[in-house]
Amino acid sequence: MKSVMVFTWAGRAASFAVAACVIWIWQMVANSGAISPLFLPGPDKAWASLQRGFASGVLLRQTFGTLQHMFFGWLVASVLAIVLGSMIGMYPTARRAVTPLLEFLRPLPASAVIPLAIAFMGLSNGMATFVIAFGTLWPMLLSTIHGFSSVEPRLYEVARALNIGRLETIRKIVLPSALPDILAGMRISVTSALILSVVCEMIAGLDGLGHYIMVSARLYRSPDLFAGVMLLGAIGYLSSLVVTMAENRLLRWRHRGH
Amino acid sequence: MTEAPKFAFASATLALGGKTILQNITFDIAAGDFVCIIGASGCGKTTALRLAAGLYQPTTGEVRLDSHPMTAPRPDVAIVFQDYGKALLPWRTATGNISLAMEAGGVPKAERGDRIAELLTLVGLSGQGEKYPGEMSGGMQQRLQIARCLAQNPSVLLMDEPFGALDAMTRQGLQDEVLELVARSGTTVIFVTHDLEEAIYLGDRVIGLLPHPGRVGIDVPVRLSRPRDQLTTREDPEFLRLRRELFDFIKGSEA
Repeated sequence: MKSVMVFTWAGRAASFAVAACVIWIWQMVANSGAISPLFLPGPDKAWASLQRGFASGVLLRQTFGTLQHMFFGWLVASVLAIVLGSMIGMYPTARRAVTPLLEFLRPLPASAVIPLAIAFMGLSNGMATFVIAFGTLWPMLLSTIHGFSSVEPRLYEVARALNIGRLETIRKIVLPSALPDILAGMRISVTSALILSVVCEMIAGLDGLGHYIMVSARLYRSPDLFAGVMLLGAIGYLSSLVVTMAENRLLRWRHRGH
Repeated sequence: MTEAPKFAFASATLALGGKTILQNITFDIAAGDFVCIIGASGCGKTTALRLAAGLYQPTTGEVRLDSHPMTAPRPDVAIVFQDYGKALLPWRTATGNISLAMEAGGVPKAERGDRIAELLTLVGLSGQGEKYPGEMSGGMQQRLQIARCLAQNPSVLLMDEPFGALDAMTRQGLQDEVLELVARSGTTVIFVTHDLEEAIYLGDRVIGLLPHPGRVGIDVPVRLSRPRDQLTTREDPEFLRLRRELFDFIKGSEA
């Protein structure tokens, strides 16, 4: 136990050291003047821009905008994936009927539906929600279908032998059994939700970091651009960390024993 | 006029997908009897047990419990599956797994706790209630499944090669524990096994099935005194005689 702890601390220290090293090299390159500061500001300048942005409230609003797009799109897709995935997964007939359509829609790049979504819904947050939901639905739906269709047949027999009704069987046996797959799909989709939020904000000029970094780039305000990119990185890292933590908590039975 | 049998197979025939799996199975079981079913692989002994559980319905004939046809699984008939690893809910603790049977039986939440503790003690798992099946050995998992079945307060306990996947020492321990549990509660047991010695050691009676299609080939009473003992019972001349008889039966059925 103790050696594991030491190892974790050592690992953590090493990862900080690597990150610090990269920032230091970045600073050195920027200081050397080899690349024009117009394109590459040092970390000091990017940090200053980040502080300024938050002090004035601009970055806070943009960050909130991006989080909002991500969250609603992802939420709609999650609900749809669970509702559709459970029905498709539990009924082989339904599975056979919709699989070809799913296989056709799945590889369709979500960015390709943006013009269509704009035509129907305008440059609105609803459009972003639609595009993000569309893009993140497929991986979630496929893994949810897998979860619902691969419930251990013996457990259905146990449910029948115990005279457990249909709805109770779904609630107590099918749903918990599919949960690991549902959560895995939701975790994978968080990252695509962030990517699509940025793309929608860039194309439709919606409030958010995507729009912020594009405007910053056009105005040659590279410290602002770098600040925005750093924030997006942090959002990506933290959001997937939160989902992973929720997943571990809900599936704690998996991490005990073995 | 004799007392009506607890459990009866009356000319039960089962065909699945046009193939006859079991043909004209007929035998009665008296209340409190421990009946073992043996047979070569593929003789349909596990299928016969599913028929007894009400999980399958006979194509013709009947399976009766207390003179009523079994048309669906009943709460007082419990089945212990061989593959305990698949029959337990991995996301529920030992307590939660036992609770599943009580929730199905409509036992009020307030009464479950004490009864679960009692059952855990009964199967030798006291203090293990908060463990998940994944944290338990095979023997412990099978004990847990047995506890879940006992939570149904069954009058008939069906067991499908319950100890087949366990090591010899664990198996012998569990055999004795099951005998003790059953002796105390007076439960009627139908026990499927491919292990002839296990069948003789446990049973009041051993029924042998012939394969293709499955039908009753032999039905012998076991006249060995109880309580049984892993050493002396297995050395009893009657035990050895039965072992020879059943061995010859299995060998003959495969030829």
